[in-house]
Formats: sequence, structure tokens, C-alpha cells
Amino acid sequence: MELPVLNEKPASQGGCSAGSCGSTDDQLNHLSDEIKAKVQNHPCYSEDAHHYFARMHVAVAPACNIQCHYCNRKYDCANESRPGVVSELLTPDQAVKKTMAVAANIPQMTVLGIAGPGDPLANPERTFETFRRLSKEAPDIKLCVSTNGLSLPESVEELAKHNIDHVTITINCVDPEIGAKIYPWIFWENRRIKGKKAAKILIEQQQKGLEMLVAKGILVKVNSVMIPGVNDKHLAEVSRIVKAKGAFLHNVMPLIAEAEHGTFYGVMGQRGPTGAELQALQDDCSGDMNMMRHCRQCRADAVGMLGEDRGDEFTMDKIELMDIDYEAAMEKRKVIHQAIEAEMNSKRAQKSEFAEQIAQEPKLTTRPVLMAVATSGQGVINVHFGHAKEFLIYEASPDGVRFISHRKADLYCGGDSTCGDGESVLQTTIRSLEGCEAVLCSKVGFEPWEMLENAGIMPNGEHAMEPIEEAVMSVYKEMAKNGKLDEIILHNRATA
Amino acid sequence: MSLKIIETCVNCFACEPLCPSKAIYEAKPHFLIDSKKCTECEGDFAVPQCATICPIEGAILDALGVALNPPGSLTGIPPEKMAEAMAELQAH
Repeated sequence: MELPVLNEKPASQGGCSAGSCGSTDDQLNHLSDEIKAKVQNHPCYSEDAHHYFARMHVAVAPACNIQCHYCNRKYDCANESRPGVVSELLTPDQAVKKTMAVAANIPQMTVLGIAGPGDPLANPERTFETFRRLSKEAPDIKLCVSTNGLSLPESVEELAKHNIDHVTITINCVDPEIGAKIYPWIFWENRRIKGKKAAKILIEQQQKGLEMLVAKGILVKVNSVMIPGVNDKHLAEVSRIVKAKGAFLHNVMPLIAEAEHGTFYGVMGQRGPTGAELQALQDDCSGDMNMMRHCRQCRADAVGMLGEDRGDEFTMDKIELMDIDYEAAMEKRKVIHQAIEAEMNSKRAQKSEFAEQIAQEPKLTTRPVLMAVATSGQGVINVHFGHAKEFLIYEASPDGVRFISHRKADLYCGGDSTCGDGESVLQTTIRSLEGCEAVLCSKVGFEPWEMLENAGIMPNGEHAMEPIEEAVMSVYKEMAKNGKLDEIILHNRATA
Repeated sequence: MSLKIIETCVNCFACEPLCPSKAIYEAKPHFLIDSKKCTECEGDFAVPQCATICPIEGAILDALGVALNPPGSLTGIPPEKMAEAMAELQAH
């Protein structure tokens, strides 16, 4: 299967094809109708969709058959947000109840994933029982699963049976030498196998599983964890290989490693990549394939829009008290999904119109600029600077506007209890915007305004409720007009 | 002759389906091994299955009370390095 090349760096000679120039996040334009239909409301597969639709993970799969150096199986913390972490393990029956409760209460939830906290396919009974029941009892929910791939080949038949059309495989390497530095052991044929031999088996199983899924017509996303000094130079090759085998999307994620997590990498002081390193690698890989840049590395029990977690509202004790009429909920969901899709389509049309308009204007020759945007979804600028939990980073250039990444912000305006040390948190937030030259929010307070300016980041509250790409382009043009893009930048580099 | 699961078990379920003698059972606060049923996998496997998939160092002991997966054997983290990191965290 030949893949279209998406979300590439805009070609330097200009001249953009189709309606995607204004924003490369509109990846769906390039795909076959069949794939389009499958991903258009999937927040983890479509950058566009993640502004509108929510997802949830049910933690039914505690067992794992491998050890990764970035994972610690003892970890279970409500305040920590990363894969492999959960607060409450569910039985398949509880998972079905929880899914239906969330679907009824968060109608924009379209996707149910099983992602751990171990490996879903190392818990086949619990995982497939959950899928079996949900495909019957909640047929309007898309089902997906993520796996390390070790047990994938033997599970493909069963996956196809339950109508699971999205599978994510975490593939960190295709070279056992490198694999031995990432995976200390695997459990294989009743033995614990270590070192290169283990990595070789895992890699073979992952690649075989990938081929089998593609042969079945199941959409495959490949996740890779970028580990500086271990596999960073190797991931472009991984990207080429998985693309050639038919993976549809590649998601390169930064390593999360803190000593307090108690992981091998955390304790041994292995660092994660900087934003600039991650972006450079994503750009490197994007020459070969569709890159995902909006991944939030969710917990295995996350609930809500990407980047938010409403798991607290849906603990089992709260769910037991809810009375869910799923038939009625499905009716309501259908209406809401149609409305959201109509809104998405009109926004898409607006975006391509905007892109065409840009293409017709005389082309600027200015340098690219990174801008941060505060949004809670719907593709518009609609969050106050102090309330932003994260910022989306966009690059504006003469070729248009493209989505680059997201950055977490510490909430400095979190109410009385945190106001005491609010200023230092504000400083941290501003530091997280390093490299950006402007920040677009619905509003910016006086104090952060001054601090942002001092940090060389232009605060901007003039584009509240406007579509992101249009607002970013308008600020970019204004900067160009004011000669700001001819200056030598002293403290900022245009990287994310 | 029986293996034993101790309180560091994280209840991950990995061992339970592997036991050829069905000696492992879910319990609170953690999984347990029925010592009357456990054979340490003799006659079925070359190595005890529960200890072979268990991801937690020190969670499974042999009949003499010795950890089948001693510190550092699974994570690759040298125990002194782990102690150092934990001491540093507590100091903060």
C-alpha cells in the first residue's frame, strides 16, 4: 500500500497543492475516502478531530509480557499523567459500564481504547471480553487497542472479529542492538529472555503483526518513544520501514523520564528530548510519512478530550449510582455527532478558502515564526492565558500555518491555594513557551503581559473566538508589515 | 515445597493464568499462592512460571524465603543507584 506524504514541511519553492496549504493539519484531504471515514472523528488519529471529539481508555489490562526501560509497573498515581499509569483497575463488566456512562455524559466521546496499564494483548480474555460486549452493547463507539506487539500475530484474527479497525503498535527500533538498550527482558515461550535475543524476537513479532494487520485492512498507527542517544538517530529508518509496510500514521513521542517515577531511564539519568530535538526528528520522518504531532501521551485510564482528564467524574463508585439509558443516549449522541461533523466540515471549507486566499496574495519572503495558542477546542482561540493548561504551537511562514506540537503549561491562576507561589509558576509557563514569538489567547492579564513582553513573547488578545490558522496568519502578516521579521532574533529561535 | 507472593505484589494478574497447578489466586491486598497446590512448576516447566513473568523484584520468594528475582535483576537498575536516587528524592 503506497502512502501519501502528509504534513510535510511546505515545499520551499512554494506552490501548494490542494486546499491544505493554509494548514497542514487537515491531513484527511489526502487520504482515501475509506480511511477518511474511519478517522474523521477519531481524536488520536486526526489532528483536526482532536479539537472536537473525546476519547477514553479503560484500564482492564494489567499484565505485561515485556519490560521497557521507560516503564515502572509499581507506579499508580492520580496526579501523574503518562502511559502505564492508572488509579483503578477495572473488570470487563466495570469497563463496559464505565464506557456507557461516559458516552452518555460526554456525547462527543467517540473512541474507546484499551491501552493498559500493561499490554492489552497480554490480557486477551479481559481485553476481548470488553471489546466483545462493547461492540454489541454500544455499537456507536469506535474500538481501538494499543500494544507492544509481542502477542500481536496470534491476536490479529480475534481483533478483526471484533471490528477493531485501529491498532497502535509501539515500535521503538528495528535493530536488536538498539532494542537491547530499551527492553531489558521479554516473556516468551515460558521463559524470561534478555538482551539482544529478546529484542530480536520482539522486533520480529512487531513487524509480522504490522504486516498481518495491514493485510486485513486494519488501520495501523506506529508509536515510537524518542530516547536521545539510544534510538533518536534510528527512528527515521523505523519510519521508512513501517511506512513501506503500510502503517498509516507515525507518532514520535518524547521520552518521559523522571527519577521519581522509578523507571530505569529516570533513575539512571537518561534525559528526554528537547522540544527542538523532537520537532527536528518529526520533520525528518515526515518526508517519509504522515506524522502525528498532537499526541498527549495519555494515561491508560484517561477520559475526555486529549489533554484533559475527567477520570475523577467517572470512578466506579460514582458510576454505580448513575442510571444510564443507552438507547436514548445513542440517539442524543447521533444528533450531537452530526452537528459536530457539520461544524468541522464548515471549518474545513473555511480553512481551504483561507488557504486559497493566501495562495493568491503576493508571497512574503519573511522567516518562519512560532506562535503559541490557547484553545479548548473547536479550532478557535478561546482560553484566557492564565487558564490555559496547555498551548498549541503553530508555525507561520510564507507557505501558510502548520501545527507543530503542544506544550504543557502550569496553571498559575488556579485559585487561592496556589496564588502564593503563582508568580514562579507563571515564570515556568513563560519558560515553556521558549522559542515562540507571540502567544494568542482570548485574554491576557496585566502581570503576565509584562512578563511575556520581557521574555520576548508578544502577548495578543485581539483574536478571541477567531479560527486559529486565520488569527496566526494575521498576526504573522502584521509582524511582517512592522518589519519584525527582518530583525535578528537575540533570545529566541524558531523551533519548538 | 512452595513459592510465596509477598506484599510488594502489584496485582498485575500476569502470573495467575500461567500457573500449571492453578495454585495462584486473587486475594486482598494481593495475589497469593496456595502452598498445597504449588509444585514450583516441577514436571511442567523448566522454570517457575510466576517468577518468570513477574515484573516486580522481590515479590516472589522460594521455600527458603529467598527472592527469585533479586533487586536489579529485572529493571537493570543497580540497587545502589536506586537507593541513591530515592535518598535524593526524600531530601527534597
